[in-house]
Amino acid sequence: MIEKIRKNYLSFLLCCMSIVPAAAIAAGGPVVELEIINHLFHPSELIVPANTKVKLIVYNRDQTPEEFESYELNREKVIMGGQRAIIFIGPLAPGEYPFFGEFNPRTAQGKVIAQ
Amino acid sequence: MLLNTVIIILREVLEAALLISILLAMSRLLRLTPHWVSVSVIVGAAGAVFVGTQLGDISQLLDGVGQEVFDASLQLLICTLMLWIAVLLTRSFYLGAGSGRGLPQLMAVTVALAIIREGSEIYLYLSAFVVQADLLPGVLTGTLLGAGIGFSVGALFYYLLLGLPCRYTLGVACGLLALVAAGMSLQATQLLIQADWLPAQAPLWNSGDVLPEASVAGQLLYALLGYEASPSPVEVTVYLLSVLLMLGVLFLARQRARSREVGERQTDAAPMV
Repeated sequence: MIEKIRKNYLSFLLCCMSIVPAAAIAAGGPVVELEIINHLFHPSELIVPANTKVKLIVYNRDQTPEEFESYELNREKVIMGGQRAIIFIGPLAPGEYPFFGEFNPRTAQGKVIAQ
Repeated sequence: MLLNTVIIILREVLEAALLISILLAMSRLLRLTPHWVSVSVIVGAAGAVFVGTQLGDISQLLDGVGQEVFDASLQLLICTLMLWIAVLLTRSFYLGAGSGRGLPQLMAVTVALAIIREGSEIYLYLSAFVVQADLLPGVLTGTLLGAGIGFSVGALFYYLLLGLPCRYTLGVACGLLALVAAGMSLQATQLLIQADWLPAQAPLWNSGDVLPEASVAGQLLYALLGYEASPSPVEVTVYLLSVLLMLGVLFLARQRARSREVGERQTDAAPMV
């Protein structure tokens, strides 16, 4: 019985992983770009359409890694020095959603404005 | 910089520290030798540095969402191992240490994976400051403080668990394992949403005003229960399913172990009649 449930759990996990293609095809929405230069976000305000999934591309122009983090957007991702990262955000209700660079939170700050 | 470092390190250390303290308390209760901890800490730390140095390459995989998928897979693997551990703990508790064969090895692997997951982020964080010599002292002090607080909370849980009357320890430990594992599966779900591997949805509620995730209480609850201020329907579903599944499996394991325990007692008693 326990073996069976363990198997069910595994197949449930696998099921979760296999929703992939359906979700991947749906990705064709708006794309927004963001840069990290000297531990600052450029631009520091991003305007995105409300209630739409947005593909955010973040370029880290610094040599050091940075972590894009936002409690309001429920997102966190480490971006190595000189790399580019893709983060999907939204759909967001109209409003402001602050984000920051977790490794340099005093300087690296910005917000997403959904409207 | 100092306070910020304390919070970041605390957040990473807390989850692993909780897991280690629960498993250590159980291995003490079952009289298993705790050698597995030192092995898993060493292997975990080495693995964390390795993964940290490879993260740049991992991130570029799968059209730029390799990091999310890698982390989520690691989390789900840890959850599954935790479930397995909880079943073996239940069995050994009722039927003696012999029935939980492989338990120390399993705990070693699980803790090592948890350390790899959290440790690689600490490694990356510290590596960001090695080149910024002026900030380094504050960062190192903060790291020590954060790790110290994290392990103190772990120690607190360890002694709390051992201080409980024996008959409650297993239940509380397994309950905690179930909650930590559900929190991890929620994090994994969130990572897969971020990678666009799971559907993005509007949040079901937002409790961020009442209990911000960034607060100390929020961080503690995040480590213990996987607290999320604005979860989407998929996340809530996965969380509830994980908790129910864990509790269901544990309940069955306990029933089975108990009925076998009673059976063994009866066969032991039979010749004496």
